[in-house]
Amino acid sequence: MAVILTVDDSPSMRKMVSFTLIAAGYQVVEAVDGVDAFEKAQGQAFDLVLTDQNMPRMDGLGLTRKLREHPDFKSTPILMLTTESSDLMKQAGRAAGATGWLVKPFDPVRLIEVIKKVIK
Amino acid sequence: MADVHQDSGGAGTDIDLSQFYQIFFEEAGENLDQMEQMLLNLNLETADDEELNGIFRCAHSIKGGAATFGFSDVAELTHKMESLLDKLRRHELKPTSVMVDVLLESADAARALLACHQSGTVGQGPATADLVQRIQAIVAGDAAAAAPPPAPVASPVVAVAPVALTPSAAPASAEASGVRHLILRLSKLDHAAQADAVAELFRDIPGLGDIKPVLAPDIAANERVYDVQTSSSNEDLLDLFAFHVAREQVSIQEAEPVATLPPEPPSAESVKVETSVSHPTPAAEGYGFFDGAPGAPKPGDSAAKVAVAAPAAEAPKAMHSVKAPSAGALQPEAATIRVAISKVDQLINLVGELVITQAMLAQNSRSLDPTVYQQLLTGLSDLDRNTRDLQESVMSIRMIPMSIVFSRFPRMLRDLAGKLGKKVDFVTQGEATELDKGLVEKITDPLTHLVRNSCDHGIEMPQDRVRAGKPETGTITLSAAHQGGSIVIEVRDDGKGMSRSKILAKARERGMEVSDSMPDAEVWQLIFAPGFSTAEVVTDVSGRGVGMDVVKRNITALNGTVEIESAEGYGMRVSVRLPLTLAIMDGMSVGVGNEVYILPLSSVVESFQVRSEAVSTLGQDSRVVKVRDEYMPVIELEKVFQVPRFNTDKTSDMMVVIEADGSRVVLLVDELLGQQQVVVKNLESNYRKVPNVSGATILGDGKVALILDTAALVRRSRH
Repeated sequence: MAVILTVDDSPSMRKMVSFTLIAAGYQVVEAVDGVDAFEKAQGQAFDLVLTDQNMPRMDGLGLTRKLREHPDFKSTPILMLTTESSDLMKQAGRAAGATGWLVKPFDPVRLIEVIKKVIK
Repeated sequence: MADVHQDSGGAGTDIDLSQFYQIFFEEAGENLDQMEQMLLNLNLETADDEELNGIFRCAHSIKGGAATFGFSDVAELTHKMESLLDKLRRHELKPTSVMVDVLLESADAARALLACHQSGTVGQGPATADLVQRIQAIVAGDAAAAAPPPAPVASPVVAVAPVALTPSAAPASAEASGVRHLILRLSKLDHAAQADAVAELFRDIPGLGDIKPVLAPDIAANERVYDVQTSSSNEDLLDLFAFHVAREQVSIQEAEPVATLPPEPPSAESVKVETSVSHPTPAAEGYGFFDGAPGAPKPGDSAAKVAVAAPAAEAPKAMHSVKAPSAGALQPEAATIRVAISKVDQLINLVGELVITQAMLAQNSRSLDPTVYQQLLTGLSDLDRNTRDLQESVMSIRMIPMSIVFSRFPRMLRDLAGKLGKKVDFVTQGEATELDKGLVEKITDPLTHLVRNSCDHGIEMPQDRVRAGKPETGTITLSAAHQGGSIVIEVRDDGKGMSRSKILAKARERGMEVSDSMPDAEVWQLIFAPGFSTAEVVTDVSGRGVGMDVVKRNITALNGTVEIESAEGYGMRVSVRLPLTLAIMDGMSVGVGNEVYILPLSSVVESFQVRSEAVSTLGQDSRVVKVRDEYMPVIELEKVFQVPRFNTDKTSDMMVVIEADGSRVVLLVDELLGQQQVVVKNLESNYRKVPNVSGATILGDGKVALILDTAALVRRSRH
């Protein structure tokens, strides 16, 4: 079963994403920000990282860059789940090494659809 | 709440979002609190990035959640707040007090809207159109110079919907907004790689523009200079560069007027890069993949395949982030759990029962022979200690810091002082002092009243203060500290204090018995008298009038006391002393017949054996006793509670002096049984209100004892 790391500083968002993913049959590990996520990524591989952009301590872009430096996460899909829908932000996400983006607010069904495209 | 799904997206969903509402409401409330706090603490002159980012993040989080859960009114309002805050944190606008005001008002409105959603009374919330317009005016008025115009927002759905990046959109808008020709200077570089990384940004990010290194003899070894053509604003560029170099290392200068530049046709290559950014179709759907990025699904069409591969796989190596992790403003989620208060109360109740059982065992074991039952007795003494520790730990769960109460005052004072035209500094001390949650809720209103009074009637107008030789800005200090088993909360101000002569005059006018020789403390207590509080008092006397009797009554109901000190011209201090918790009380148990009653120890003054010559009868059933030159009414508990008496020879011959509401009475009881901590059980919720009784407890031997309402007994003696 695929394991997904979901990163968001907002507990309600985190809960909702987790719930949606678990309901769709994925295993979920939650992290409260980039720093927490990066720590959780040590010693555990994930099939997908779903991260918010705007978070305290380390944002989604920072996390993406850090993860891409990590040998286990060279090719792991990283999706930026973000309200920052500006082009610049998307481009920065791309430059950081993100796989794609999904804008918030999202529909739970849409989220699963998108995830199915990247998790085989 | 049938309308909640209206905005949650086109496709139908099987997942009921309402189960997350509660978490969202709590979280949004916390975010609003935090935002308010940060706004109030914001120093307009020296606002730093971390503070502004923190405030922005609060608005941002609420917007995200509100939009997700379909609370479109909240989302729209917070979106506006967010766009203003975004300008502030990008330093496109300078924070002003007008902005802080409108943001605070918006936070209030958002709170009210959320409350409506929570209670299901949608449509009764405050109108926000005015706030939205005001914020928009602030954003637009000053942002005219800023290069990227804020995205027009008609509804929150539009607000957060992605701007689809079509191949033609970016270059077209670049032409329209004008390409700027800049000289970018990166100085004091640690590695040349940093500059390379910045240069790579222009290759990586389509539409950002072109960059060419400038080679000149005057460039230092740790310096790089580039010739840049871009349509992005300086702020956007600085934000992007911030991933690689510090802001102060970057200098951007306008090279020459844009108008003189020949229009730059977009090169073939850059167009290709743009096509690869996102598939147009999914972009409209609210998501997208970067072609060639790790893990991205393989694009089906061959056109995209010719696209320049995203350098994501190799790029991270070169781009080592120089951005310091932003610690501070927003703490990561503390290691706490939310528990329903009813569960905590149940736990406290059970521990209370356990304490009683333990006390029962201890009592029963007293008659055991220690030589025979040594092991059992050791075990019981361990149980005693463990039970007490357990009780203490469980009680501490209900304890919350006073900062919860204190935090509401800066805002209130700011508004009030602004309305009154006064200048007030608010100082808090001992915010970490903990108090039972139940007490915190009940003390908030009286404290609010005291703080308001201090600002309203204590602190003088700035010009009056200057005339009196005081600093223009008054100070109100709110402090909390533990003293023994109580908490003492003080409200101090350096205002004009109270006038002894005016209070005495006012008291005489109202027909109260006063004398000029009364000690100060008693004079100040006069303002607690019901009816003393009139609007007239507020203006005539230094005006601590309104509702002080209510304040006093509320505090007394919590087994607390209020004391006042005042010096005319220098200010005053109101000290509120409260027990730490309502659930456990220090009591004195007294026996009448076969009954046991508990008196709150805080109200017991002294006790002594009755000497019949000290008691005088003043007519039918009314007796007084003389204690050190003071006559006090006598109340026979036996008669109050109609205690059945089987041994008719026995009469009550112990007197206990109790004090409540500033008066003293003597209770006649059979015997004093001792002092003990009792777990207070509410009688009203389990049975009904009983006159003269404030609660009940279970004694060590399993018997129920009533806890006496001393204030009621004192009132009874007045009739």
